[in-house]
Amino acid sequence: MFWFNDHVDTYVLAPVATGWSKVAPTRVRTSVSNFFTNLRFPIVTANDLLQWKPKAAGVDVARFGVNTTVGVLGFFDPASGWGLERHDEDFGQTLAVWGVPSGPYLVIPLLGPSDVRDAGGLIVDEALAVTPWFVDSYILVGAGVLDAVNTRSLVLNEVREAKRSSLDYYSFVRNAYFQRRRALIADTAAPGVEQQQELYYIPEDATPEPEQK
Amino acid sequence: MTVRAVRIAVLVLALAASGARAAEGPRAVVQRMTDAALEVLRNKEMSSDDKRNRLEQIASAETDFDTISRLVLARNWSTFSPAQQTEFVRLFKDHLSLTYGRNIENYHNERVELTGDHEEPRGDWTVNTKILRGGGAQDILVDYRLRKEGDAWRIIDFIIERVSLVANFRSQFQDLVSQGGPQKVLDVLREKNARGEPLEKK
Repeated sequence: MFWFNDHVDTYVLAPVATGWSKVAPTRVRTSVSNFFTNLRFPIVTANDLLQWKPKAAGVDVARFGVNTTVGVLGFFDPASGWGLERHDEDFGQTLAVWGVPSGPYLVIPLLGPSDVRDAGGLIVDEALAVTPWFVDSYILVGAGVLDAVNTRSLVLNEVREAKRSSLDYYSFVRNAYFQRRRALIADTAAPGVEQQQELYYIPEDATPEPEQK
Repeated sequence: MTVRAVRIAVLVLALAASGARAAEGPRAVVQRMTDAALEVLRNKEMSSDDKRNRLEQIASAETDFDTISRLVLARNWSTFSPAQQTEFVRLFKDHLSLTYGRNIENYHNERVELTGDHEEPRGDWTVNTKILRGGGAQDILVDYRLRKEGDAWRIIDFIIERVSLVANFRSQFQDLVSQGGPQKVLDVLREKNARGEPLEKK
């Protein structure tokens, strides 16, 4: 499935996104991205509350208010400049906060890397998104395609570099996915103490070679 | 202590810090390296190749590739023969230089801000930086983890957007070792490096 997605990306999504990046300047694409981010407000806020982060929920409500009005329907993000920092929450993270383990790694057709817990979370988030309740389905599909193409167009360099710098691209993506999710769940960049121990200190018996000086 | 004694102590410390580079803390190492790198990147007279070489020198001076190599191979390190270990350190360093060096073409006058630093549980330090590209989600978070070796603080991991380079490469090398042992790791590195040699032209 991973390589199916990679083929779709290489032969369909990436070329379209490259075309879009030539037509639309970065400023426009950032605005489109802001617009879709703003629409995620119900999902983010609901998950703030489900993780008992009332302060974050308050900030996200204020963000939506500011960016929808001053930010012209969410195309601009003045809220970030005013100290209302953006949060990235979803139901997969909420489940993790509640103690649900990630389960095995999973690659979802067209959607990409995930795990069993986060895939379940996506279904709940879909229900939490308010937009689908009153927007026609063909508009939703069109918007979904635009969102995907636009998002991809903002990371053209990054993905190309990731493919070049990785020695095993599948393994690279899987590990980056888990690291990133772990950091998002903890809302911090720092790995936990146990993880640090495991990552940065190798037991002496595992390295029989004497130190070279 | 009297006020005067404190003043003298502060003065002595300040002199010591300004005098010897050995007294430089982790934050100062990252600051100096970042400043030096930005100066090269902003230089309009230098050719791409010169820039790349210079940046490689700047980064290598502060980075401990031996430790990084051991950490990325973890338990597999001891399955490499001493000759393979030496070759691995060299190839992996080249790989990092090549892939990150290519990125100089993507530099568009971004600034870098040091946003914080803190000590980790067993004495390493983490220094947080941000590459400013217009605020919010556009900025790139880059953390450096440093370890004291002798007198100097040296970098042992780069954490880009919350993804640790050591952890990520460890998982890749683990997969490669289980596919074909140390030889497979060295082959893949050699092949990647050979392909990555030419400078990326716009």
